[in-house]
Amino acid sequence: MTRLVVLDNEAVQALQDPAHPKHRHVVSHAQVVASRKRRAVAIQVVVPTTVRVEAGWDRTSPAWVFPNRLRIADSPLDTASANIAASIRNHTGVSVADSHIGAVIQSAHDDQITVVTSDPVDMRLVAGDKDITVAAI
Amino acid sequence: MEAPAVIERIGELLDGSELGTSNTSMRIPTALRDAAALAVRELGIAPSATALTTAALRATLEAVVMQAALDEHYEQYPQARPDLGDLAIAAAELDGHPLAGQPERLRQAAAEIARNHPEASSDDVLLWAEARALPAA
Repeated sequence: MTRLVVLDNEAVQALQDPAHPKHRHVVSHAQVVASRKRRAVAIQVVVPTTVRVEAGWDRTSPAWVFPNRLRIADSPLDTASANIAASIRNHTGVSVADSHIGAVIQSAHDDQITVVTSDPVDMRLVAGDKDITVAAI
Repeated sequence: MEAPAVIERIGELLDGSELGTSNTSMRIPTALRDAAALAVRELGIAPSATALTTAALRATLEAVVMQAALDEHYEQYPQARPDLGDLAIAAAELDGHPLAGQPERLRQAAAEIARNHPEASSDDVLLWAEARALPAA
């Protein structure tokens, strides 16, 4: 069984900023992932690259050292993802970053997909028919 | 090397796109090697014993690096360190567990289990809280 955890804009911002009111909450998610990885659970955390842009996550900036070290992989907006994201945006009117999250969800082949988000309604909208778990922050 | 530099370097190496391989003189127990070969051949869990070993090593290193980054962060920002209740809530949220919506019940279960089992994990708390939620037979 493989698990995918997708971060939205606010989850990323909360993770980066120790003064953010939701910092400890999102760090808790990261800690659970780390502990499960240690127990050989197949779990991966990803951030869609447009979410990274929206959140201002520049991997070369010293301000982002902590998130950079947490093994959070980029999920790029390649041609196929851009097509899916564009379709989602056309149908729902959500932001580019949320559309990209939808594309990541709809393209994923993992057994369980969890989105850490401050906007559960939009995440369920962009997920379409895909069954997802929403971790609301 | 200081710990942050080590974390950084291991991360870079894990992210490296270099496809080169190396022969190693690593000695592993014969029985373990045979078990891996059997699992690959008969259970198809990986394309080869080498692929299986590489994947396991990568997963372990990712977990170690992630935990080291978190530990360093906790040292710098002690208020960011989640307690067992926080972790149980985060685990429930990531899993879509029915008790995710009852954080106080999870905090109570964490407090109870920590009294006798200080090393308990978030998953232990979830199990305990779930058992406590069952109606008495």
